[in-house]
Amino acid sequence: MVATAAASSFFPITSSPDSIDSKNKKLGNGSTNLGGIKLKPSASSGSLQVKANAQAPPKINGTTVVMTPVEGFTSEDAASSLPPRTFINQLPDWSMLLAAITTIFLAAEKQWMMLDWKPRRPDMLIDPFGIGRIVQDGLVFRQNFSIRSYEIGADRTASIETLMNHLQETAINHCKSAGLLGDGFGATPGMCKKNLIWVVTRMQVVVDRYPTWGDVVQVDTWVSASGKNGMRRDWLVSNSKTGEILTRASSVWVMMNKLTRRLSKIPEEVRGEIEPHFMNSDPVVAEDNRKLVKLDDSTAQYVRKGLTPRWSDLDVNQHVNNVKYVGWILESTPLGIVESHELCSMTLEYRRECGRDSVLQSLTAVSGVGNLGNMGEIECQHLLQLEEGSEIVRGRTQWRPKNAKSFGKMDQVPAQSA
Amino acid sequence: MLKFPYCNVTDLNQALAQCRFVGLLGPLASRRRSPRAVVSCSPSSSEFSLTPVQAVMSCQQQVGSSLVNRLRLGGLTEDGFSYKEKFIIRGFEVGINKIATIETIANLLQEVGSNHAQSVGFSTDGFGTSPTMRKLHLIWVTARMHIEVYKYPAWRDVIEIETWCQNEGRIGTRRDWILNDVTTGEVIGRATSKWVMMNQDTRRMQKVSDDVKEEYLVFCPREPRLAFSEKNNKSLKRIAKLEDPVRYSKLGLKPRRADLDMNQHVNNVTYIGWVLESIPKEIIDTHELQAITLDYRRECQQYNVVDSLTGLELTEGSKMVSVGTNGSATATATTREDDHDCHRFLHLLRLSSDGREINRGRTEWRKKPTR
Repeated sequence: MVATAAASSFFPITSSPDSIDSKNKKLGNGSTNLGGIKLKPSASSGSLQVKANAQAPPKINGTTVVMTPVEGFTSEDAASSLPPRTFINQLPDWSMLLAAITTIFLAAEKQWMMLDWKPRRPDMLIDPFGIGRIVQDGLVFRQNFSIRSYEIGADRTASIETLMNHLQETAINHCKSAGLLGDGFGATPGMCKKNLIWVVTRMQVVVDRYPTWGDVVQVDTWVSASGKNGMRRDWLVSNSKTGEILTRASSVWVMMNKLTRRLSKIPEEVRGEIEPHFMNSDPVVAEDNRKLVKLDDSTAQYVRKGLTPRWSDLDVNQHVNNVKYVGWILESTPLGIVESHELCSMTLEYRRECGRDSVLQSLTAVSGVGNLGNMGEIECQHLLQLEEGSEIVRGRTQWRPKNAKSFGKMDQVPAQSA
Repeated sequence: MLKFPYCNVTDLNQALAQCRFVGLLGPLASRRRSPRAVVSCSPSSSEFSLTPVQAVMSCQQQVGSSLVNRLRLGGLTEDGFSYKEKFIIRGFEVGINKIATIETIANLLQEVGSNHAQSVGFSTDGFGTSPTMRKLHLIWVTARMHIEVYKYPAWRDVIEIETWCQNEGRIGTRRDWILNDVTTGEVIGRATSKWVMMNQDTRRMQKVSDDVKEEYLVFCPREPRLAFSEKNNKSLKRIAKLEDPVRYSKLGLKPRRADLDMNQHVNNVTYIGWVLESIPKEIIDTHELQAITLDYRRECQQYNVVDSLTGLELTEGSKMVSVGTNGSATATATTREDDHDCHRFLHLLRLSSDGREINRGRTEWRKKPTR
């Protein structure tokens, strides 16, 4: 009974066989250059609204959900046959009154039905639970997230960790949807056979605006080649309702043998598995090639020691989840900056993993104030390392004064300083 | 665009009744009776002339872009006295056991509570304060939280949580929750919490007059409805203060920026994580949390440092037995004899600096089921 209740809440979709076929692995010809286009989700998804049923019906809680069509609305032909207007018939004609009222209500009902057929946010109804689906010629994965109250940080906006969780989630879901998940996380069957895994080496995130409680964000993600033996994964996060771009991110991945921990070339068999999923696009974030310096006790102005992972920081492999590093980096950023500024850009280089028993320290140096042509912007360098010295993450962050964006102009900045 | 001058369902019902052509309105009438119809007319939706009628339709159709109608698979129930919402478990909400963590569950309970408050027109700050409360500078403070989980949802599972609130004693309110698995319909968890009003300036509990209470009680069920209705259930159990010797501890816990809520206080769910910090790996690896009860005593600020202490919960009289029987004092306490796979602990969170108690709690752990 519960299953049908859930099913009846779904928007009825007629599946069309010529719709996007996620199993159709095209070789990236005629692909979309997402880097250059400003995505308007409402426009693109409007055209998708009928073709949406591209994948197998979603499985909820391990069972397939059945879509039931809504009963068709049949217009009743109430006013079609009226008697001729003789004297007797000119008396108040209740049947005409009946017809008039019926027409009003039927028209109202039709309007409501019309609303069913022209939803304002088709994505929501096609994917009500936000599981995500493949769009755009089978190369882009799209998932929506509703910002929940507990994801709002002390700044009253979604925290950077929340945003990065969304990116990580869509990456894994993309791999799962596209059939790229072999045994492990994002390792294809060919990779599993050779003990190869993907390892993220670099991440760049640019936040134009942080979503707040109740916003729904749409995250699009896709993969491309990075050099000869790497992979790049890009994300574009937009406000589901307005289409405004909120965040752009790009990450670089290399292949590593999980036993020897050495970098590996992509074997031909694996290349055959993954290349059909690559998109030919420019990076969504302009690559910041400046070298990330290694801080030490003398160059760092702020140090926070004794950082230890909690149980909730660990992922299924009992390693510290990548996203948690960002939180630790912020731990040593001076409170003055964190409270008056918001993180607008971040570049991270991942060096090593850590687990439950690690004890870390976070170092920060403020490397630039008011440079980059933007008044009030601050730049910091970061290092997260084990207390015994091994580097975990190097980073660089840029901060802009809070509320600078809400004035609508980049160069207009409130009078208060950091 | 058709305009209906009706503001709520009852007016619409009256108008339809006056037509006396009930037969033709069959399909309309049945749609009106669909579950989860929003009863109240939300003020923010006045820009849509059809919105009162939209309000009649199932919430899940999500038409209209008013603030309340986000991607929210939830709404007030038909009688308006409780609120239900569906949630999908995401990958980052899942822990080392590949199932939702207790913090995720607690976060969802908090979320659905806020959404309930918001859907009845209370504040949008996420704290569910009524307009009068805000005028009097009153805020809700959790006094006790009790959560039982019978089956943890896994990644991509969809659960539905129903919540409602009621009066509790003279100064308190309780909020109850029931968690269901959407596909099987089975109850996977229950929770209850007790709240008191505190003056946000004096930080002291405050008794309030009935008219302040009436403002929110009007949305609560008239008859007592308890998530835990059985007598002597665990949610009512008094938690003893943890005495020495303390079995396990984790000292020097500091709030991170991510632990702070919108008002810069350490949020309630962080305390759950701190309590679990002093549970040893052997238990975490083999057992899962079955029930947790927390009594909130004192607030923790962002600059405080906290110690988390854990000890075995002694059953009544066992202390005496272990000292008396063979003349020597045995250090180990016994848990219930008939349940070797169940562990019960007492917890204490206190300020490192002066030992003042922040929270006390108790947890029950059962052996992990094979999945």
